[in-house]
Amino acid sequence: MSQPHRLACLLVPDLPLRAELRAHPELADVSFVVAAGSDARAEVIEASPAAYLAGVRAGGSVTHARAVSSDVRVQVMSLALERASRQALLDVALSFSPRAVLADRSYSAFSSEAAVLLDASGMKQLYESERHFASALAARSKALGLPGVVAIASSRTLARIAARRCANQADPLCIVPAGAESSFLAPLPIDLLDPDDKLAQQLTRFGVHFVRDLLRLPRRALAGRMGPDVLQLVAMARGETVEPPLPTPADSRLEEAIDLDYPADRSEPLLFVLRGLLSRLMERLELRHLASGPLDLRLDLEGGGRDVRQVGVVGATRDTRVLLRLLALTLETHPPGAPVEAVSVATEGLPERRDQLDLFRPRGPDPDSLDRTLTELESLCGSGRVGAPEVADDHRPDAFGLKPFEPHRVPRTPDLPASTETTALVVRALRPPVAAEVRVNRGLPIQVRSAVSSGDVIHVSGPWRTTGRWWSDTDRYALDHFDVQVSDGTVSRLCFDWQERRWRVDGLYD
Amino acid sequence: MSRESPSGAVRVRHSQEIESLLSDLGSRLQRGTGIREQPGRLPIGRPDVDRLLGGGFPLGGLSEISGASSSGRTSLSLALLANTTGRGELAGWVDTADAFDPPSAERLGVDLDRVLWVRAGTGPGRSAERALRATERLLQTEGFPLVLLDWTGNLPSPKVASWIRLARLTAATRSVLLLLSSERLAGSHAEMAVMMEPARARFTGTPALLEELEARMLLVRNRTAPIDPTASFDIRLSGVRPRRLSQPRPCRTSRESAA
Repeated sequence: MSQPHRLACLLVPDLPLRAELRAHPELADVSFVVAAGSDARAEVIEASPAAYLAGVRAGGSVTHARAVSSDVRVQVMSLALERASRQALLDVALSFSPRAVLADRSYSAFSSEAAVLLDASGMKQLYESERHFASALAARSKALGLPGVVAIASSRTLARIAARRCANQADPLCIVPAGAESSFLAPLPIDLLDPDDKLAQQLTRFGVHFVRDLLRLPRRALAGRMGPDVLQLVAMARGETVEPPLPTPADSRLEEAIDLDYPADRSEPLLFVLRGLLSRLMERLELRHLASGPLDLRLDLEGGGRDVRQVGVVGATRDTRVLLRLLALTLETHPPGAPVEAVSVATEGLPERRDQLDLFRPRGPDPDSLDRTLTELESLCGSGRVGAPEVADDHRPDAFGLKPFEPHRVPRTPDLPASTETTALVVRALRPPVAAEVRVNRGLPIQVRSAVSSGDVIHVSGPWRTTGRWWSDTDRYALDHFDVQVSDGTVSRLCFDWQERRWRVDGLYD
Repeated sequence: MSRESPSGAVRVRHSQEIESLLSDLGSRLQRGTGIREQPGRLPIGRPDVDRLLGGGFPLGGLSEISGASSSGRTSLSLALLANTTGRGELAGWVDTADAFDPPSAERLGVDLDRVLWVRAGTGPGRSAERALRATERLLQTEGFPLVLLDWTGNLPSPKVASWIRLARLTAATRSVLLLLSSERLAGSHAEMAVMMEPARARFTGTPALLEELEARMLLVRNRTAPIDPTASFDIRLSGVRPRRLSQPRPCRTSRESAA
C-alpha cells in the first residue's frame, strides 16, 4: 500500500530580522530595526523584540522609529545576508530529506517570509509522529539561528498556508491530517492565500473575508467579475492546484556574504568578518554532511572595484581555523587594492573524507590533519611547490615532476632494505643552473669560474652527450656534460649547452 | 672501646672506593638524578655510521649535518631519508635551495611517494621565513618521523630564537628535525651535530669516470653521550654515472644548426 504524499513547510516569517541576528548575534537583546535604506525616510522593515516592546513598529520611517525610541539602532537591510539565510534554510531541509526546494518569494503582505518545502512522506518510520518530525525540523532551524514554524500537509500550497497560520499563533507546529484539508482551510482568513493587492481589495469589497466565503461563490461568476486571477485562488482554496514534484537539488555550492557597515581598510576587521562567514558556512556544510573544497573569496571594493580570488584547499575540510588561516595568508600576501565594502565566501561542498587504516604500515598522520598541513603549506609556498617528487619520463637532465602527496594511497612498503656499507653519491641540482666561464683545451675544460665552483680543473670526466626533441624549434636540446673536480674542492656537473652555446654548472656532487 | 665488625669494614672500604670513583668521573656523572630514558634513534642504515652516532639521530631532537659543497652531506641525508621511507614512514624535505634531485634520491633507494617535498626556496617573498614556518607546520603534524630542513641556499642565518623554537617543537614530538647546512647554525640547540669535510674525489679508468668521493665525518656534538673530539670517520660515496650514457651523440648537422 502506497504511503500518502506529505509535504512539510519550514517558514521563517521575519527573515530580514533573523538574517541580521544570524550575522550579528550580539544584537540579540539590543533594540534595533531593519530599514530599507540608511536615510531618515527609509521604511522600517522589521523591528527587534526589544524595539517592539519600546513601541517601534514595522511600516513607519526611521525618523518615526527614532521619535518613538531614541536609542533604537538602525541596521540597513542586506540582500546578501537574506540570500545566505534562505540558502541556509534549504540546507536545514536537505539535512532531513533529499527532495527540497525554496518556495517562491512573495511580493505582497508576506514579502518578509522565507519558506522551504520538503518531502515528508514516510517520516513516520523515522519519527514517532509527524509532530515529532516537525519539532525536530524546527529545532534544527532554530539552532542555525533561524527560528521558524513548521506545517505538514498533503500539498505544497496547503503546507505553506498552514505555516503562515502557525506564524501568528503560540504553537509553532501545525499538522493538517490527510482528508481534513477542506475543514482546515474553510475558517481561515482569505489573506493567508496571499492574493495580490488588487484582488485583495476586490474580495474585501465583495465581503469575502474567509476561505469559506470564497468557496460559496460560483466560480464562473467570480471569474467574470474579478478576472482570471481569482480562479487560481479558488483552486488553492479547494486544494486543486497542480504542483510539480519536489526536485533533488544537484548544486552543492554554498555561499555566505555580508555587506559591511563601514569600508574595512585593514586586515583585522576583515578577518573578524571572515571568521563569522566561515563559521556560518561550516555550520551549513555540517548539516549536509559535506566539507569545504576550494574557497572563492569575493571582495567588493570602495569605488566599484571587485577583487575575486580562489584559495586552494588540498583536502576537503570543515576546520574554520585552518580555512581562516588560509584566507589570512592570501590577504597578507596580496592585500586588496582599496577598502572593502562587502565580502562573500563561497565553496563547493565535497564529501567528507574517509580512510581505512592498515595494520601493516606505520600509522602516519591523520588524513584530515595531513590535508590541513598540505593546504597550509601550499598557500604558504604557492601552488605546485608542495608534493611528492617524481622522476619525470624525460631525458632532459633537469626534468623532474611533483605530484600530489597521497601517502595513504601508496601500496604497503616492501621489507626494509638490508643495511649497506656504501652510500651512493648524489647530485644537488642547481635550479636555475649557474652560469660559468670555462677555459677549454682540446675540447675539455681546464679552468672554471662560477658562483658555486671556481679554480683549475684537477680531474675531468666526459663529455656525456645528450640530445632530444630535435624536431622542435623551441624545445630541442643538445648538451655536453662533464664531471669536474676543481681546485677549490668541489666536484660539479658542468654542462655546455649547444643551443645557447653557453657553459653552466647544473649540479654539485655532494 | 667499640670494635668494628669485618662486614662493616668492607662496607666502609666499598663506600670509599665509590667516592673515589665518583670524584674521578667528575662532571661526566650526574648525582641525585633519576634514570634518564634514552631517546629513540632514527638510524641511517649504514652500520658503521650508525655506530658512530650511537644508533642514529635522536628522536625528539634537532640534529645538524653541516659541511662544504661536495662533502657528502646530501648523500648522508638522503641515506637517512631512504632508510626512513624504506620502513614505510613519511618524511618531509623543506628545501630552501631547491636542490632536491629526485633521480638521485630514487637511485639511493628513497621511496619518493613517502617524501613531502616543500620547495620553500622558490617563488616570491621571503623564503627563509617560509621555510621556517613550513618546518614548524610539518613538526606539528604528527606522523613525520623525519623532517629535513635544507638550509644550504644563499639564505641568511635565522635568529637564534628560531632554533630555540624549532628545538622545543621537536622535543614535543617523536620526530627528528635534521638541519642540513653549509656551516653549523643551530649551535647548542642541536642534540647532535655532524660535520662533513671533503677529502678527495677519485676518477679512474679510460675514459675517466668519477668513481667515488671520499669525505671525513666528525661527530662534533652529542648531548646524550660524551664524544671524542679527535675521532673521525672516513666515508666513501660511490660515484654515479650520468643516467643517459647510451644517448646518441648529436649529429653533425644539428650541432651546426645549433651553432
